Amino acid sequence: MSFEEFQNRARLYVIGALENGECREFEKARRRFGETAEDFITECYRLHAALALSLRPAKSSDALKERLMKMVREKKQRDAH
Amino acid sequence: MPRRPKLPLDADSDESGPRLPAAAPQLAPGEPTDLELMQGIQDEDPEALSKLYDRYNGIIKALILRVVHNEAEADDLLQEIFMELWKQAKNFSAQKGKPLGWMVTLARRRAIDGLRKKQAYLRAGERLQNETEQQPDAWVHNATEEEIDFADTRVLIRKVISGLPPAQQQAIDLAFFRGMSQREIAAKTNTPLGTVKTRLELGLKKIYDGLKEFRDEL
Repeated sequence: MSFEEFQNRARLYVIGALENGECREFEKARRRFGETAEDFITECYRLHAALALSLRPAKSSDALKERLMKMVREKKQRDAH
Repeated sequence: MPRRPKLPLDADSDESGPRLPAAAPQLAPGEPTDLELMQGIQDEDPEALSKLYDRYNGIIKALILRVVHNEAEADDLLQEIFMELWKQAKNFSAQKGKPLGWMVTLARRRAIDGLRKKQAYLRAGERLQNETEQQPDAWVHNATEEEIDFADTRVLIRKVISGLPPAQQQAIDLAFFRGMSQREIAAKTNTPLGTVKTRLELGLKKIYDGLKEFRDEL
């Protein structure tokens, strides 16, 4: 697999769209290209943030946040004991 | 959260292509960065989580809604995801990317898992059928107008995405927001597997290339 093919596969990999057979080939190429491959994969994860940012934010209730923060504080207290 | 100045699209283009503004929300002086908030969460400071929630809950909820299409389920998942973020914060590494990317990756995985667990796939699939027939606007169907912090960024990312052929947009939508495999997309859209693969590769490459201006921010 050339590095260009690896790049194409990496973009599919980060969104979980590689088929099983492709995954095996991809992992082999990933090991072969080493750190360069890892750097490129890290770059590809920016696609996640970009695709999410393409959506308009949705509204949540204040009550939901209050519940969340209560759970967080309770967990912190439990973990402290 | 301060409003970001409006940037007319016309003013963002020159001969070398569109120039994109900062992706992250513009922070008021003294406001902690996303990375500082993540470090706060790693130090178990609930206030840091509270601020990160205020900054990103709208985007994360939009992503979840895009996957599960149910307001109540989306709220449940939103709460679970931020709770998981609190628990998993120690696994975040700044070397591996930005906090927003990490949160989105975590949220997407949880939302897709939630969709599958609740065996809503078929129902959602029927809804998706209707949505994808309305491309390209379906990409932003679950909109509210209230949160505008990311409006400029969204417009410009949307500009990149809407420049793709509808079939590429649809393939990416099904893969990213539904977690569908190439085979599932091929079956759903009655398209040869090789064509699906090509659409995904070309579409993602164009989006990736279009994001180069965001290099320091996403």
